[in-house]
Parts: sequence; structure tokens; C-alpha cells
Amino acid sequence: MLIMLLVFFPMLGAAAAWFTGRREDRAELRDILVIDTAVIEFVLSFALLRGRHVFSIPDILGSGLYFAADGFRAGYGVITAFLWAGAAIFGKEYFAHEPEGLNRYWFFFLVTLGATQGVMLSADLMTAFVFFEILSFTSFTWVIHEQTREAIRAAYTYLFIAVIGGLVLFLGLLLIRHSAGTLTFSKLREAAAGAKEQGWLRAGFLCVLFGFGCKAGMVPVHVWLPKAHPAAPSPASALLSGILTKVGVYGILMTASTAMYADAGCGVCVLVLGAATMLHGAVLALFSVNLKRTLACSSMSQIGFILTGIGMLMVNRAAGSAEGEALAAAGIVLHMMNHSLIKLTLFLAAGVVVMNLHSLDLNEIRGWGRKKGTLKAAFALGALGISGVPLFNGYLSKTMLHESIVSGIEACRELGGMMDRSFALTEGAEAVSGNLSPAPGWLPSLAGWLSGLEGLFLFAGGCTFAYMLKLFLCIFVEKNADPDRQTRYDRNPACMNRVSTAVIFGSSLLMPLLGQPSVSLGIARALTGFTGDYAEQLSEFAAFSPENLKGGAISLAIGALLYGLFIKRVLYGRTAGYRNLWPAWLDLEEGVYRPLLTRVLPFLFGSLMSLFGENRLTAPLSKGILFAGTVIGRALDCSLDFLAMLLRKTVFREVKVRGRKERTPDLLGVLREETRQAAVPILQNFSFALMMTCIGILLILGVLIFYVVQGVR
Amino acid sequence: MSPLFLLIPMALPLAGGAWVLFFHPKSDLVRAVGCEAVALVTTAFVWLSFFIVKDEPVEIYSFTRGFSIDLRLDGLSRLFAGMVSLMWPLALLYTFEYMEEEPRKNLYFAFYMMTYGITLGVAFASNLTTLYVFFEMLTLVTIPLVTFYGDHESMYAGRVYSAYTIGGAALAFFAVVMGTLNGFGGNFIRGGSLSAPGSGPWSEQMVMLAFLFGFFGFGVKAAVFPFCRWLPVASVAPTPVTALLHAVAVVNTGVFAIIRLTWYVYGTERLAGTPVQALCLAFAAFTLLYAAVKALKERHFKRRLAYSTVSNLSYMLFGIMLLTPKGFEGGVAHMVFHGVMKMLLFLCAGAFMHKTGKAYLYEINGVGKRMPVTFVCYTIGSLALMGVPLFCGFVSKWTLAEGALSEGSPAAIAGLICLIASAFLCAVYTLTVSIRAFFPMQGTDRFLREQSFEPGWRILLPMLVFAAATIFFGVHPEPLLSLIRDAM
Repeated sequence: MLIMLLVFFPMLGAAAAWFTGRREDRAELRDILVIDTAVIEFVLSFALLRGRHVFSIPDILGSGLYFAADGFRAGYGVITAFLWAGAAIFGKEYFAHEPEGLNRYWFFFLVTLGATQGVMLSADLMTAFVFFEILSFTSFTWVIHEQTREAIRAAYTYLFIAVIGGLVLFLGLLLIRHSAGTLTFSKLREAAAGAKEQGWLRAGFLCVLFGFGCKAGMVPVHVWLPKAHPAAPSPASALLSGILTKVGVYGILMTASTAMYADAGCGVCVLVLGAATMLHGAVLALFSVNLKRTLACSSMSQIGFILTGIGMLMVNRAAGSAEGEALAAAGIVLHMMNHSLIKLTLFLAAGVVVMNLHSLDLNEIRGWGRKKGTLKAAFALGALGISGVPLFNGYLSKTMLHESIVSGIEACRELGGMMDRSFALTEGAEAVSGNLSPAPGWLPSLAGWLSGLEGLFLFAGGCTFAYMLKLFLCIFVEKNADPDRQTRYDRNPACMNRVSTAVIFGSSLLMPLLGQPSVSLGIARALTGFTGDYAEQLSEFAAFSPENLKGGAISLAIGALLYGLFIKRVLYGRTAGYRNLWPAWLDLEEGVYRPLLTRVLPFLFGSLMSLFGENRLTAPLSKGILFAGTVIGRALDCSLDFLAMLLRKTVFREVKVRGRKERTPDLLGVLREETRQAAVPILQNFSFALMMTCIGILLILGVLIFYVVQGVR
Repeated sequence: MSPLFLLIPMALPLAGGAWVLFFHPKSDLVRAVGCEAVALVTTAFVWLSFFIVKDEPVEIYSFTRGFSIDLRLDGLSRLFAGMVSLMWPLALLYTFEYMEEEPRKNLYFAFYMMTYGITLGVAFASNLTTLYVFFEMLTLVTIPLVTFYGDHESMYAGRVYSAYTIGGAALAFFAVVMGTLNGFGGNFIRGGSLSAPGSGPWSEQMVMLAFLFGFFGFGVKAAVFPFCRWLPVASVAPTPVTALLHAVAVVNTGVFAIIRLTWYVYGTERLAGTPVQALCLAFAAFTLLYAAVKALKERHFKRRLAYSTVSNLSYMLFGIMLLTPKGFEGGVAHMVFHGVMKMLLFLCAGAFMHKTGKAYLYEINGVGKRMPVTFVCYTIGSLALMGVPLFCGFVSKWTLAEGALSEGSPAAIAGLICLIASAFLCAVYTLTVSIRAFFPMQGTDRFLREQSFEPGWRILLPMLVFAAATIFFGVHPEPLLSLIRDAM
């Protein structure tokens, strides 16, 4: 019941808000309705945390909708509602000066909330898919909201990637259903282990990975992310980045931890894509000179961290390392949560900048925040959190992910030793991992690659620190290149009203709070129930042990070096300010996807199609066939006329009237004329000519059949 | 009651059409009320017959031994007749407003009514001969509707239409004769009515060849690949014709005839696994992709939808030719669901063209705010067409895809991939229209701010009903699917 309320109540609220807001003088009332709906949803969602909730509507949509709220799902339901409430409250001030299309915006804002809850609380993949598709289309309206050229372009990219993702996901679900026979998360693990067609199952998982990856911003379908976030209004960007990407991660995580239980091959696949996302996002963010684009690329990079964690979860399991598995699971959920909360603060802060300056260019907004103490503090807390500075929340989750890689390396090495000792490779592996499927023989050789991954992980963490430092120093510490502008900026320290201040500052206070290991570990223990019970392993985790601090310190040192040597020396020019030196042609969307879809494929298809349609090759051919058909038909037709003519010339010969001379028609001319007339509508069509021939043949066949029938009788 | 009862719903629209044609009702109101009343009464009789008519064949007239006109009401007839009979009165209602200012309305309504009766005849046919007779009549009776406007383009379309469909019927004739002579009078029996291989007078190769002729001959109406050009050309006809006839009644007749030929005359065992099946699957799969590409290239609103119809008809053929129960379920479900969705889309397109006088897609920027109901309906239809869950297109696509996967032959898997690809193209070619309508780029809005183009209730009501049906079947498809399973 509670779940139904959480999913459908926002949708009702959306309808109410839309009807209210149809009259412009009721806009105020509508805003209050929207905020109330979001806040009530937040309050209600706390009830999820108590006990286990299950809800289903079996007779609907063919297979039914099934929901469940426990541990992770319930926790994320609360976080979702929290972000929405924050974005709604801040949105009221943000949109105060641009009322155009706001009714539409708020309507889809609340519908998306319901749909997101639907995904987050789903108990089977089909339910997740249904709500995933809904939120794909409703969140599209956020991206296109401004209706500028860039927004529309970004929105098309977003939509088509979402549609492709949806279809691939559809295929993935189909394959999993086909091979495992069920889509319910709780049954999927046994069903998948017993599935006969493991190949289809793997293919299904890869499709699901791709499909949900489209929303998560995974490489190579991340292209929408750096474009859609700057184009969307800031409260919407916060949600896109904080929650909607997590919806994709949620789908991948749920499938990976059930259907692909301990499949090392798929785990490596996720690891590779995760690492690529992590690095690519981090590097793009380093180069970017647009505030929201930097934050968007940062989101991409953080999603990469989480995906790496999912990959490590699978690999650790296959290698039989319970400790690594626990660390990975806890790291994933904590980093998801931390990233959602941090991005809320950071994007809302960016929203304050946009609201005041209508610009996102770092060189223009440079120095704007020097005298804005509260905003500065909030932004700093968010930046510290995401950079993984000890005592803040990002440190804990990143350390856990890091440690899971480390224990993965150890487990692989150990497994190698075991395998060397045992006679039969597969038996030994089975004894170690204790899983249904034996660990593949190549798993030990993964250790070397994982060490490389560890290095990449620390580097990407360093990049995070570097670009957050860049943003913070640029907006809140440095002075603008234009002194007049700087004085204007400093003159007016007020930048938002009290409510917005409370939201942004309040949410930023969560970073140090969640940075306390006792708090975070408690949350992690409650949320990781979806994949196993890790209470024991997690209690051994020492957040501030020298080893863990060393990892964090290395990462921060890399970040500081990057900032000092690369950003300040290379990217920053004394006269030009911050420059984006990322080569423009290195854009996957402009360079590959768009040309492929708009030029290459149409060209290929077009040339293929024209082979069958209207072209110089088939037109004479059709004409020739038509001519032949006409000649044959005319010959048959004429045979009687010929007889008549013969008779007229001989037996019934007419008497000629004097002075009037009849001209016998030229037979060839008649034929040509007839061909021409027949050819007018269908001249350039091969199929028609074929069909006319068929008709001719059929007439003959009809006669034959008649005789056959006679013969049979 | 005896199946002779079925003659009543078949004859009523024909009589109604004859009344309009010969007695020329003078006032619009009389004609409208008369036609609508006849259509509603016919629908009532059709639905009444579902409850009282027994499932057995009855002979109406015999040409010669084996070739006779037989009627029967079985599960598939119920589905087809039920679908058509619910759509006709609604489409007629739409027509009254759409055709308000046209001359020669009597001609139009006469043939529009007659088509109803003949379509029911196709649904109630019990053997190949009967099916063929009504199939041919359907072609003839719709030609005046295609050429209705009488301008150069319409006459050209009429010629193309008649040449293709009559030619197609000629191709199918071979299969009809073969099916009738080689079996038990070509009767429609579940599991096939042909005599066992080797026992008939004709060799197996000949029988299979006849099937191909039948598939492509009936397939002309279902617009299968080399014979699909007529459908977009014929979309110059008035929108109610394009909507009801060229997206539902006439084209589905082609699909329906192929279902009869495949599942009820030849039987699935005989065809499954043969190269003939693979060939038919390959053509269907190719068509559904080909037409989607053509739709994408098209800039004319109705022609784009017509190409989309071509693509979707091949979904049905694909499902049927899988020759598995799942495939049948998906194919027939798509026949019903596509009927609903495409009616909806065409009605919206027609409303747009009728009210604004524009026909091309680049003229559509920003019209969403002036006709909100129409374009919300359009968006529902296009989401359904691309197969988004909650709408009916998803159900049939899912079933079809499941069928293809469980069939598992290379042609079926290739078809599955074509299906996914064409669903993507479908998203591009239908959703871009909605996006242009609702989210014009700043400064490209082509309409005045306060202008409203929303049509009257006679157009809006059918549209809303179809939109509701789209969602209803998407959310609660199980009753219909179980009906389809029973029909099999």
C-alpha cells in the first residue's frame, strides 16, 4: 500500500498541479502544491525504512507489476524523495523569473518522481523497465525545457540515446526471460544458475548493461550527459545527475548481483566499461570551462567509480573473496548515495550562479562568489565530499571501492596459487570459490590488470580533486580578470532567498555527517542486504587505518599535482583565462554517432533501396518487360481482330466511298502508344512490371488449370 | 442460430450504401443520421451474432463442385469482425466533420458504407473461394474512395491502387484454386485442410509454389515488400479512408487472408522449417525495415504514416509466418493493436491537415499548443507505435519478439533484429513530429499565439476513444490475448 502511494501519489499531485496552473494567476498555488507533494513524499518515504514492504498489481500489463522495498531499495526511495523535495523547493525561486512552460515542467517533474520511485522499488526487471521508459520520456521535457538551439540538440541526443537504450534493454529482458524463465530479482539467481542457454543469458546481461548504461552515462553511450546537464534548468540537472543516472546504475546492479551471480567474464566487461567511464569523465571535467558541464562530466566519472565497484563485486565473487565482495557492495551503495547528495548541493549552487548571472562560463563567473559566505561554505563542503578528503563522505565510499580492488588482486593471486597446486584446474577453482559455476582458468592472470586498474582508480580520484579545486578557486577565491565586474560582484552579497539558502546549506551539512565511519557503516550494513549479509566483514573495516589513509593521500597528492602543473600551467592562460584545450574533433557524438545516423546509414540504405525502386537501371528494364507484355497481349488480342480483318478484306469487303481514303494504322506505332500509356503510372517501377508479367502467366495458368480439372474428372 | 444470420450484418451496410447512392439524401443531417444509424445497427447485429450464432459452416451458393460461398463464425472471424465493427461507427462520426465541405458526399458515403459490409464478408468467409470473392469485391468498392477528389494525383493513385490490388488478387488466385482442389474445398480448419503430402493430385513442389503465390498475392494488400508502393500513393484519399481502410480494414484483410491460408488451409506443420517459410520471413523482415527507412525519409505527414503502416503490416506477417503459437498470438494481437494505434495517428494527422490546411512536417512547429488534445493523442499513438510499455504496441511487440526468439531459426533471429531496429526508426519518425509540435525551437513557431485549431467533438470523440483503447489494451491486454489463443 505504502509503495503504491509513493509511486502514484506524485502522479496525482502532478495532475492536480497541472490543472491548478492552467490559469496564470494560480501559479503561486501550483508551486505550493508541487512543493507540498514532494515534501509529503519525502516524509512518507521514511515509513519504507521500517519493515519489509511488498506490493503487486498482478493483472496488469501482461505480466504484472511487482514492488518490494527492503534495505537498499527502501534507502534509495528515501534519497530520491529527498532530492526531489530539495529541487522542488529551490525550483520555486529558480524559475521565478521565467514562467514560460512552467506548468509543463512541474507536471513532468512530479510524474518523473513517481516513475523513479517505481524503478527504485521494483521487485522484477519488467516493472523496472516499465517505469524506466516512463521516466526516460518525462525527463526528456526537462532537457528541452529552454527550447534554445542547444537545448533542442541536447534533447534529441538525450531522447534517442534513451530510446536506443530502451530497445536494447527490451531485447535484454527478452533474452534473460527466454533463458532463465523469470525476471523477478529474488528468483533470478537460482533460475540463472540453472539456465540451459548460458550464452543467451550473457547476451541478455550485456544488453541490460548497455540499456541501463545509456541512462547511467556509461562510455560509449555517455554522449548525452555533458550536453543535457548544461542545457537543462539547474534543479533538473541536479536530479538528472543525482538520481536518474542512479536509476541506470540500479538496474545494472540489480541484474549483476542476481542473474550474473559470480560471472567473471561479464564482471570484466563491466570493469572495462566502468574504468573507461571513470577516466573519460575525469579528463573531460579537467578540460571543461563550463561550470555545469564540469559537474556533469564529474557525474560521469563518479558513475564510472560505481560501475568499477559493480565489476569488482562480480570478480571478487568469482574469485571467492568474501571480504572484497562486502567492500565492493558497501562501496557501491555508499558512493551512489554520497554522489546523489553531493550533486544536489553542487548543482543547486550552480543554479544560484545561473539565476544571478545567466552564464556558466568559468571566465565570466570567476570571482563571483568571493563575498558569498554561505554559498562558498556549501560548495566547499560538497567539493571536499566528492574529492575524497578524509572526514568527508566521499572518502569512505572511495576507500571501500579501492580496498575491494586490492582484495580482488589478492584473491586472484591466491586463486592462481591454488590452481597451480591442484591437479585439475577447474576442480581447484571450484573448491576455492564454492560457487555453482567454476571460476574460469584465466582469472588468476587478472591480478596484473587489476593492479593497473588500481592505479587508474587513484588517478581518477586525483582528477576529481583537481577539477573541484579548479571550480572552487575559480568561483570563490580568485578575482575576475575584469576589475569592474569584480567590484560589481562584490557589491551585492545577497544571491538567494532564505529558503534556498537553507536547502543548499542544509544538504551540504550531510557531507561531514556522513563522513563519520560509524554513520556510514551503519547505513552500508542496512543497505547491502540485496546481495548478501556482510555485517561481519564490514565490522572489520577500519576507515582511518594507515593503509586506507595512504590511498586517499596518494589520490589527493595526484590531484594537487595535476592542479598545480596541468591546470594552472597548461590550461590557464594569463590573458585568455581558462581555456578548453580538449580538441573539438574528439567528440564521439559529433564525430561518429551523428554522421553514422544521419549520413552513413541513410546512404547505405538509400543506395540499397534505390536498387529496388526508381533508378536508371530498372527503369529501362521495366519498360522492356512492359513492352514485351504488351506485345504478347496485343498479339493474342489481335488474333481475333486479324481474323475479322481478313474477313472484311475478303468475304465482307466494303465498297469504298470515293474521295475518302482510310489510312491503315501502323501496328508498331499502336503498340508503342499503348506501352507509353500503360507505363505512365508505373514507368519507373520494377515490381509492377513483374506483376503484369505474372498476370499474363496466370491467365495462361488459368487455362491450364481448367484443363487439369477436366483431366482429373 | 444458423450462420445464415450473418447475412444480416453483411447486407445492412450494403443496403445503406445503396440507399445513399440511389436516393441521394438531400440534407446532410438525414444522410449523417441515416448512415450512422445503419452502422450502429450493423455493429449491434455483429455483436449479437457472436452470442447466438453457432460455430459451423453454412453454404449460401455453390458455383460448381468444390467452389462455393460458405459462411462461418469462428474465433478469428469474431476477432476481425469485432475489431472492424467497433471502428466503423467511430470513423464514420469523424467523417461527418472531416467531409463537411466536400462536394459529392453521396458518392463517398455510399461506398464507405458498402465497404463495411464487404469487410464483414471477408471476416465471415469460411473457405478460400468465399474469401477470394469478398477480397476482390473489397478492391473494387474502394477504388472510388481513393479517386474521390478527382484531381490528377487521385486518379493516378486510383490507377496504381487498382493495378496493384487486382494484380495481387490474380496472383492469389493460383493458391485459391490449388487449395480448393487439393484439399477439402479450401475450408478453414484449424491445423490445415489440405490433403496429406503425396495424396493430392499435385506434387509437393507445386503446392509450395502455390503457397508462395498466395502469400505474395494476398500480400499485395498487406503491402509486403516488392508490392508496397501502392499504399503511400493511395494516401491522397480523404483521411477517413486512409485511416480506416488503408490502415485497418483493407490492409488487414490481406493479413487476415494470409492467416487463413497459412494456419487454416496449409497448416503449420506442413510449412514449418521449409525454405518457403524462411523466404516469407525474410521478406517480412526486410519490409519492416525498408518501410521504416522510407517513412523516415518522407516529409509528408500522411505518407509517412502510410509507410509506417507498411512496416507494421510486416510485423504481423512476420509473426504469422513464425508458425508458432506465440508468433500467431503476437501477429494477431498486433493486427488489432496496430489497428487501434494507426487509426489514432491518422485521425490526429487528418485533424491537423483539415484544420490548418497544411500537410508537411516542417509546417508543424508549435501547433501542439493550438491543438493540445489532438497532439497529446498523437503522442500517445506514437509512443504506442514504437512499443513503449503501458501502451498496446508494447504488448504485441513483446509477444512477437518472444515468438521469434523461441522459434530460433536464423531468419527469425534476423527478423528480431530488424524488429528492434525498426522500432528505433519508428521512434525517430513519429516522435520528432510530436517534439516539433510541442517544443518548437525559439522563434520558429509558425502559428499566432491565440489561434486555436482544435477540431469539434465529432473528430475529438473518436480520437479520445482510440487513445483510451490504446492505453487500455496496453495496461490490460490479457483478455484479448486469451481470446486470440482460443481462436488458434
